[in-house]
Amino acid sequence: MKTVRLSLVLAMGLVPALGFAQPLGFVLNSDSASISLIDMATHRPVGEVPVLRQPHHITRAPDGRFVLVGDTVGNQILYLDPRTGRVVRRQTISDPYQLMFSPDGRLLTITGLARNQVDIYRYDDRTGLTLWHRVPARSMPSHTAYAPDSSAVYVSLQGSNRLMAIATGTGAVLWDARVGETPAGVLWNDGALLVGLMGQDGIAVVDPADGQVRRMIKTGRGAHNLFFSPDDRLIYVTNRVAGTISVLDRATLRVVRDYRVPGGPDDIEFAPDGTLWITQRFDHGVLFLDPETGRFSRVDVGRSPHGLFLNTDQTTHRTAFP
Amino acid sequence: MTDPFDTVAGYLQEHVVVPILWQLGWMKWEDLAGGWALFAVYGAAQVALMFAICMPLEKFLPVERWPDRSAVLTDVFYTVLQRVGLLPLVTFVGFYEAQTTLNAVLTDHGIVPPTLEMLFPWLLGRPVISFLLYACLLDFAEYVRHRVSHKLRWWYALHSLHHAQRQMTFWSDDRNHLLDDLLGAVWFGTIALAIGVSPMQFPLLVLLLRLLESLSHANARLDFGPVFGRLLVSPRFHRTHHGPGAAGRRSCNFGAVLPWWDMLFGTADFSADYTATGDVTASETLASGGYLAQQGAGVRRLVNDIRGDSRQPAPRPRGGGPGVRPANMESP
Ligand SMILES: [Zn+2]
Ligand SMILES: [Zn+2]
Repeated sequence: MKTVRLSLVLAMGLVPALGFAQPLGFVLNSDSASISLIDMATHRPVGEVPVLRQPHHITRAPDGRFVLVGDTVGNQILYLDPRTGRVVRRQTISDPYQLMFSPDGRLLTITGLARNQVDIYRYDDRTGLTLWHRVPARSMPSHTAYAPDSSAVYVSLQGSNRLMAIATGTGAVLWDARVGETPAGVLWNDGALLVGLMGQDGIAVVDPADGQVRRMIKTGRGAHNLFFSPDDRLIYVTNRVAGTISVLDRATLRVVRDYRVPGGPDDIEFAPDGTLWITQRFDHGVLFLDPETGRFSRVDVGRSPHGLFLNTDQTTHRTAFP
Repeated sequence: MTDPFDTVAGYLQEHVVVPILWQLGWMKWEDLAGGWALFAVYGAAQVALMFAICMPLEKFLPVERWPDRSAVLTDVFYTVLQRVGLLPLVTFVGFYEAQTTLNAVLTDHGIVPPTLEMLFPWLLGRPVISFLLYACLLDFAEYVRHRVSHKLRWWYALHSLHHAQRQMTFWSDDRNHLLDDLLGAVWFGTIALAIGVSPMQFPLLVLLLRLLESLSHANARLDFGPVFGRLLVSPRFHRTHHGPGAAGRRSCNFGAVLPWWDMLFGTADFSADYTATGDVTASETLASGGYLAQQGAGVRRLVNDIRGDSRQPAPRPRGGGPGVRPANMESP
């Protein structure tokens, strides 16, 4: 532990002079107002970026020049250089909780968990974000997914057990339907919406046309967020309460494997070497899971780590699979 | 790098709090419950630390000794209820909800709520220093509130419960009327919102200030000397505030943690010897009743004072009643 801390201090002192040789992983410590920078090759923390209050989610801008971090309580969006973690710019935006770019890269949807509204912004790499539509929502809008043609955005309403669909062109609410207890992560897959249900033990398969639940798939207690594997064959689901990650075959939606992952797994990212990076909300660390063996190592970060970003060559993150 | 409080709170969150929330169908509170668990752990640790520091002081350097200490037990109840249960709930969950909602709405209207870190960007990434600066500002707010609560007759009717204790110990800091606590919380919370305290720091600020306030109530012959005693409120300094002569409108030594505000505004008295404590205008129920009896008596006194009824117990003659006794009952 001591050596880790010492190397962190040394690294922070040396950063401006040396720059980073290796690509960086970014971990957002939501309850300690900081971003841990982790060397992707050694899995060691090499620096820390202070933020004002409470960073939750991070996403790469379509042009790849910036990563955007939402500081919810600080009411700011930070633009960081993905190579160094340097803060290039700050923009005042109220309560930016979840942020996700549309597949066509033209729009950014930001959910305001505390202020019960969904904002759709236009993005320009010179001027940043400009408000396009502001849509009032029911209680606690949290996660989002888009239709593959970017025509609609789907938002889970954590506090009212519903999912809402908004037309991105007009800002009109297309539907707002009950999907199950405490919905969180949303994913568009093969013409259906998959919704993690934190208050239940699996995911709902929802019709994007009207919001009706077609069927339920059991994964584990506290199903939270969903991610496509880099080869597009699998879907990973974090089950927060069960302390597991379920792997679904993307085509059949059958659970093919479960990993035991302690400490409240939340977000997942995929490193080029195949390792899964997983934030542990309760255990204040990042796990590095080898999907072949199911074995993992971990590193301590700040308090309640949430959003995660790896600066790999892949410039866009797949968020919808038509 | 993970501190022991985070480890314990994280364990509680994963294995106790979140499974219960899941069973109850309250998973939407999962994130906030984590903060509550953390600050409840801090609160319990603070009570333990306070006990470890103050118990030996009161044992070996007592100002007073009492054959029957049952009046102290009520204060123990006040303390545990406050610091492990209510404070984490109010100072974290309540403050977080209030701040996020209010600040987001203000930001939507083009008003960026201020924070010390935005006024002085050097503070960004130096949480210990911003924490101490916020602590000073909030301590000043406490001084003002405390002084006003003595000045206004109806407010002192509630605050007299705090002063009524004749067996003052480190447990006495939390013996307050619930309405007095509520007023205090609204005042303190409003100031903290206005100066942009971080929601993760606010509960810790409250706990730190309260820890030092507990020490200053200790029944101990402890003085910090001519220099250090002017930097931090000592048990001797706060005891003067609890003397029978300082109960009510004419009072001194209002400071909670820092005596600076008293020195600045001319209300400091460093000269007094260790005095007895109590409020001769308070009924016997306020002094030695149980928790509920004290709360009821506080409301009755408030109602009487608002009606302008001056039927308060007459001050007892010096040395006669339990309210006023010679200060040095116990020699060191
Ligand atoms: Zn007082
Ligand atoms: Zn006091």
